[in-house]
Amino acid sequence: MSPRVGTTKGFAAVLASSMLVAMACGQAPTGGGGASPAASAAEQPTPGGRVIYGSFSDIQRLNPATSNDATSSQVSGKIYDTLILVDPKTSEVKPNMGQWTVSADGLTFSWTVDAKANWSDGKPVTGNDFLARVKMQGRSKVTPNKSAFNDIEGYQDYTTGKATSISGIQVDASNPKKFTVKFTRVFCPALVTVFGSAPMPEHIFGKYTVDNDPSKNVDDAAENNAPPVASGPFKFKEWRKGDQVILSRNDTYWKGAPLLDEYVQKVVSDSTVGAAQMKTGELTMELAQPGDVADLSKADNVKLYKWPDNGYVYIGWRTNNPNVAFLGDKRIRQALMYGIDVDAVVKAVLFGEGTKQLAHHPPVSWAAGVGLNEYKYDKTKAEDLIKQAGYTKGADGFYAKDGKPLAITIVTNQGNKTRETFLQVAVEQYKQIGVKINPKLEAFEALVPKLTGGSPEVEAVIIGWQLSADPDPFTIWHSSNVASPTKAGNNFVGYANPDVDKAIEAGRNGPDCSQPARQKAYQQMNKILNDDVPYMFGFAQNRILATASNIRGIETGSFSPNADWNIEKWWIKK
Amino acid sequence: MRAYIIRRLIYAIPTLLGVSIIVFLITRLSPGDPVRIYTFGALNVTEEDIQALREHYGLNKPLYEQYVLWLIQVLQGDFGKSLQYNRPALPLIFDRLPATLQLATTALGIQLLIGVPLGVMAALRRGSWVDYVIRVFGVLGHAIPTFWLGLMAIIIFSVTFRVLPSQGVLTVGHDVWDVPDRLKHLILPSIVLAVAGIANYSRYLRTETLDVIAQDFIRTARAKGLRERTVTYVHALRNALIPVVTALGGVLFALFSGALVIEQVFTWPGVGQFTYAAARSKDYPVIMAGVMVASALLVLSYLLRDIAYAFVDPRIKVK
Amino acid sequence: MATAQTTIATAPPIPIRRASAGLWSNAWYRIRRDRLTVAAALVLFLIVVLSLSAALISQVLGMSFEQQDLLRTYSVPTLDPPGYVLGSDEVGRSQAVRLFYGGQVSLFVGFVAAFIQLTIGVLLGLIAGYFRGKIDDVITWFITTLNSVPAIFLLIIFAALFAPGAITLTIVIGALFWTGITNFVRGQTFALREREFVTAARTIGASSWRIMFKHILPNVLPLIFVLSAIDVGAIILLESALSYLGLGIIPPTPSWGNMLTNAATYYNRAPWLVVSPGVMIFLTVLCLYLIGDGLRDALDPRLRGSEG
Repeated sequence: MSPRVGTTKGFAAVLASSMLVAMACGQAPTGGGGASPAASAAEQPTPGGRVIYGSFSDIQRLNPATSNDATSSQVSGKIYDTLILVDPKTSEVKPNMGQWTVSADGLTFSWTVDAKANWSDGKPVTGNDFLARVKMQGRSKVTPNKSAFNDIEGYQDYTTGKATSISGIQVDASNPKKFTVKFTRVFCPALVTVFGSAPMPEHIFGKYTVDNDPSKNVDDAAENNAPPVASGPFKFKEWRKGDQVILSRNDTYWKGAPLLDEYVQKVVSDSTVGAAQMKTGELTMELAQPGDVADLSKADNVKLYKWPDNGYVYIGWRTNNPNVAFLGDKRIRQALMYGIDVDAVVKAVLFGEGTKQLAHHPPVSWAAGVGLNEYKYDKTKAEDLIKQAGYTKGADGFYAKDGKPLAITIVTNQGNKTRETFLQVAVEQYKQIGVKINPKLEAFEALVPKLTGGSPEVEAVIIGWQLSADPDPFTIWHSSNVASPTKAGNNFVGYANPDVDKAIEAGRNGPDCSQPARQKAYQQMNKILNDDVPYMFGFAQNRILATASNIRGIETGSFSPNADWNIEKWWIKK
Repeated sequence: MRAYIIRRLIYAIPTLLGVSIIVFLITRLSPGDPVRIYTFGALNVTEEDIQALREHYGLNKPLYEQYVLWLIQVLQGDFGKSLQYNRPALPLIFDRLPATLQLATTALGIQLLIGVPLGVMAALRRGSWVDYVIRVFGVLGHAIPTFWLGLMAIIIFSVTFRVLPSQGVLTVGHDVWDVPDRLKHLILPSIVLAVAGIANYSRYLRTETLDVIAQDFIRTARAKGLRERTVTYVHALRNALIPVVTALGGVLFALFSGALVIEQVFTWPGVGQFTYAAARSKDYPVIMAGVMVASALLVLSYLLRDIAYAFVDPRIKVK
Repeated sequence: MATAQTTIATAPPIPIRRASAGLWSNAWYRIRRDRLTVAAALVLFLIVVLSLSAALISQVLGMSFEQQDLLRTYSVPTLDPPGYVLGSDEVGRSQAVRLFYGGQVSLFVGFVAAFIQLTIGVLLGLIAGYFRGKIDDVITWFITTLNSVPAIFLLIIFAALFAPGAITLTIVIGALFWTGITNFVRGQTFALREREFVTAARTIGASSWRIMFKHILPNVLPLIFVLSAIDVGAIILLESALSYLGLGIIPPTPSWGNMLTNAATYYNRAPWLVVSPGVMIFLTVLCLYLIGDGLRDALDPRLRGSEG
């Protein structure tokens, strides 16, 4: 999974990175849309210079097969290039290091790796490198992504040691640049989730994965944290732990050597300090918070790019929690959707940098719903719905039925200012429609297991999704992924709707994987979700990138979370 | 003396054991599962994956078994592997140690070099405006939240006046051996860290010196004027050494604690900040390694202080 | 030389010995004349009273501490409405009202945690110092162990892992930092138990506990208050540091620490928000310190005669 393909899966960027040091800005508002003021005709790209990117946590592991977090992916994605590239604006999947064709039954992908694609030590990138990646991930004991390739034929047997090779992946012996991958069933997101995984150099890592010895794996390899070769625009130079990672230009990059000399990713403790460092020039790039916009736009050495995010922040209602059984009633949920003035929230909390969200896919995605109910802020309507559900207002101003009050505890993770403020606003606004909210803040680390484990302590949660370039929402909305104490899952609101399930399955396992067919399925899903509102769908925050004003060549898009999809074209104007 | 040192080192063992048990219990009894935290976000994670990871890290065994296993490993020098970084935990801590030590020793040096003379001076000029100014500063230095001072220092010196860097150990692109650059980065954090200590020392020294002077004043005749004063100064300073050493204990303790916050504010890649990050991610091996190393260092510095004490004050006999 | 001696002998510095004066009235007399300490005590008193009357203040200013106004966030200090006299925060709440509610929380944590430390410290110190032997060994081992961990590490690890509420936090702070007082009390008890009045009490058959609490404790207590006064200040600072790390009192409950940290995040938008909680913390800690200092000066017999 390469960061250039948008973030890998769901939460990764937002919350994995906020796991670490400073959680002040855990969200990863990606987006797509704004373009950098491109170099005017008079400006000629000049080589040289470095970009210093400020991130809120240190990288953890530089081997994408064994790690998961967004910060590490941001760096490893510049070292290891991928077979495909996602168009930052349209999310269309395009060939990058390889070209492919799909068999008629949709099960077999035939790949040809570009003749120019190579490793920095001169060796060519071949199908063996992709195979090496799949093998490494399958045998690793510490990777969280072992199941990523489950649908490839023979993969699961390989991981358990029952097989000594992966039958579904065949590399052409006479021309290793050609290889085929066979799936056990049609898997529409494969192009992004499977083929978005970067091939790893077989001649370096191959020795660690021993086919007939499942106990041997790549987990402790020294090269994991000091990659010796690169297929991407940058090579690994140095990692000063806790401080910075330094990458230097890869002159043998198959798309042509980048113009920058170096890319440095430096650890910053929080956004206040980060903004200060942007102004002094200690940092030349960082993701800024809406609160910093006013300040940074005044600095003349800083330029801001804004684009809509491929993700959103929401309030999830635990429809399957008996303590708040009323959340199972659609009328109550709709009332809660009508009862928040999202525009006011966006203005106050995001300083205008965001848009209201109405269903699962944000407007920038091709899978977004059409003709959705806008749920304009309407207190009267909200209270009508509550009354229809049989509630009456008590003397204290809050609704109750049969002695049970309409009271909900909403929890969110501490350290994320946007969510904390949103929670406080929700308390106040729901009070005005007679719903009592008990706000609770928890450390992210304590909250996560409760969410994924379906703990009954959680009645409602404010949290965000960072979506992948592929719109498949299987783990979030499918009924088979409902989180419970016996089975972890990302469907923590306990939503189970057979129509939605069918739509998701159609979009995921086809058999028609063409965009129009999937789009129809997802539009239908979004319509149902918009009506059912298992989430108060909140808002999509704008992604704001602050850069030094002399960096050129940046083109932003909702599907490149860090706008680094074309980093080899960036240059610094002297 | 040698016997004393050996005895102290032996006594340190049950202490360190006690520390390890306390921290072990705190980490293991806290709610939440580190594996779930680490895998959160990976879309394809299944329950089997999580259980497999838990097995791999031995998290399903009963507590006492986990502790004993940990202890045995530690006695062989192995603190386990970090859950986040998948690298041995102890070297990760040691990697960070030099940065913290640089910060702490520089701050200590500043505290001694500035705090002690200030305290003595205040005592010798008791009642004068110099005395009041130093006393006021001594108290002010105590009352300001450290992180606040740090942030203000950054805003004033780095953002507004651009004279000093605001974070990290080195400017990007500079070599590790670039001493002037390292010193530049060291200035702000170590001074901010030293402030509370300067206040402490100056107050303490003032009191102690006043004591000394009181005795001298009453005892000695004041016939010779200037020479008397010189003797007083020298005598005062010499006696100042004892309380300085006494106060070292608390100071070291405070340094370790204060360093953690400073390391956060200035993004200083030290042990404190690293252990704190590990605590937030429930990276058990790193938490244990970090606390044990910090404790061992603290115990060692108490020992050094006590040895220094024995040398400095002949009245103290080392049993 | 003769002149100097005469000066010392004849000049009455401050009449610190009065007829039939005991330790306390001596101390009280001295404190009353120490203007700085008195001023500090008055300021502290004022802060405490204001914080306790937060509800009243909220009525006077006409805004509750939860009341939000999303249209008037980050307002500059203004008297329209009077609740915004110190400005408004990120959701338009009154900074002034929250400041005093926050004071309740911060002062609560400070005083209660210090009280817990005092209780544990005095108890353990008395027991260790009086009974000595094995009991002393155990307690000393405990003290040494706690002293060997940078307690803030423990506190941070605990707070990061358990995310405690205000009361739990207070108890834990109290339970981690009592070693200083214990050591002090232990030392004093050691010395005092050899004195005649203790021997006398033992001779007439007073029980150990009675001796500890009725005879030794009163002599130790005054100086303990000095330590405690400074302690409270230290705890308030600790709470603010914890809030900075994201571990202290969890919003929306205001505390000076989390208000300061919050404001620091929005420093660029509203610098004035940082001033009020910062000043409160500073003043409170300062006053406590000065009071502690003044008490120490007043109670320390060694300073008698050196007022020259």
